[in-house]
Amino acid sequence: MSQPALTVTAPGQAAARRRRLLEIAGAAAIAATYIFLVLTQPADIANGPASFSALVALGGFLLGAVLLIVAVLPVLPTSTVVLIPVALVLNVVLGQLMGSTGLPFYIDAIGTVLIAVLAGPAAGAATGALSSIVWSFFNPTVLPFAAGAALIGFLAGMAARGGLFRRFYFAPVAGFFTGILAGVVSAPIAAFVFGGTSGLGTGAIVGAFRAMGDTLLAAITKQALISDPMDKAIVFTIAALLAYALPRRTTFQFPFVRRYRVLAGKAPAAPDA
Amino acid sequence: MTSRLHPFTALTAAASAAVVTTAAAYWPLSVAAALAAVFLAVRRGVAGRVLPAAAVILTPLCLSLLVLHGLFFPEGQTVLAQWGPARVTAEGLGFALELGTRTTACVLVFLLFSFTVSVPDLVSALAGSRIPPQFGFVLASTLTLLPAVAVRLDQIRRAQETRGMVVGRGLLSRLGTLRLQMVPLVLALIDDAGSRAQALDARGFGSPGPRTSYREVADPPAQRRFRAVALVLAAAAVAGRIVASWPAGAPS
Repeated sequence: MSQPALTVTAPGQAAARRRRLLEIAGAAAIAATYIFLVLTQPADIANGPASFSALVALGGFLLGAVLLIVAVLPVLPTSTVVLIPVALVLNVVLGQLMGSTGLPFYIDAIGTVLIAVLAGPAAGAATGALSSIVWSFFNPTVLPFAAGAALIGFLAGMAARGGLFRRFYFAPVAGFFTGILAGVVSAPIAAFVFGGTSGLGTGAIVGAFRAMGDTLLAAITKQALISDPMDKAIVFTIAALLAYALPRRTTFQFPFVRRYRVLAGKAPAAPDA
Repeated sequence: MTSRLHPFTALTAAASAAVVTTAAAYWPLSVAAALAAVFLAVRRGVAGRVLPAAAVILTPLCLSLLVLHGLFFPEGQTVLAQWGPARVTAEGLGFALELGTRTTACVLVFLLFSFTVSVPDLVSALAGSRIPPQFGFVLASTLTLLPAVAVRLDQIRRAQETRGMVVGRGLLSRLGTLRLQMVPLVLALIDDAGSRAQALDARGFGSPGPRTSYREVADPPAQRRFRAVALVLAAAAVAGRIVASWPAGAPS
């Protein structure tokens, strides 16, 4: 119980304030980029690919993700830093395992959400952004979605802090709303950087909205609003199931879980073995 | 030749190529960049790994682009064919071509980087830079953890099969077997991470201050100059694109 939660106290007040500023700047960069893209979206994409919007989307979102990482990573305790690679591996491996069940979802954030539940919003955001960056070693198309992944981790951590994982049926609800926000933020990337979605199923949905005369951004946003909330509701449910399936000795060793009483049930009798 | 290139030089070259291709938005340039990446991959002997990896990523994306913009492009004027709501337009096909080649070029360039870079070199280069040292750890740890987890998962599957786990046809049965494999895997990984954290902390991982690396990565001045030139070129390409197509109604 004596360990500090989430972050170790920074050596000086100035350093802490600088980190805080970096976090705020990162979040502001992501929000400003999104607003700018929606306000200035090219009215007529027939004039050529939205190269300007693609550059703004890439630059703004990546800058935001990098600022968040630089602000959060150095103050995470070692026990959380070593979990980040685990989360990334889980994202990949569990995503593949889920794919083997034949369900039509790209469940690729289980690890991020699980770490956010165990270690808090800051760790979740860093995990999400880092996951995208490291995963882009194998699939570069993941890189531009780093900001969306950071948002998912952050919101999952906030949901855990707010106690939404204490009741089992709240987890999918939290996932649903996270999916709405994450889908909306990621839509400009899909629209302007890639010009569509990877996958024929989602492509067909976008095509249907396009056939009704929507702009590309509107069509992809609507498609994201159909797929993402469902996807994230499933991811949050699996993460909650995993968190409860783990022995209590393991989950309650995380200061965040103990401090905010993230999971239902009492702490084991002797937490510091 | 592999060891001559500083990891940051390769990364800067890849990123600059991607940025210039995106800013130019000119499909012959994208095709040229993609072909150059393929040529370099063949010369470095990694084409056998880069091309399949790229195909897995790019095939669904390009097919999706072709179907989406080839059939539904309400902004298109030149109609080539029409079936009900679906219209094949020249503009739509052109748009799909532009974006498809652009993404292909970027993916190939970055994959060429990640399949040719030496991870130990990259990690020690990261340790010597101003990037938080934890980043290098996360990168290296993930890259070594991935194959280990595949082995582990196989062991778990076999262990559960000896205890009578059978993969059935129904969704519920499949989800059940999934649970039998996921929970031990996650538990083992989190448990491992806990002991690794203690070991790392005992070696001063969490303490602030600069890191020293036993591995020296040579960074010749010529490569520094090349990086500066590549960055200036990329910045110029971005600036040119912004000046050329600053949206009229944008808040400036």
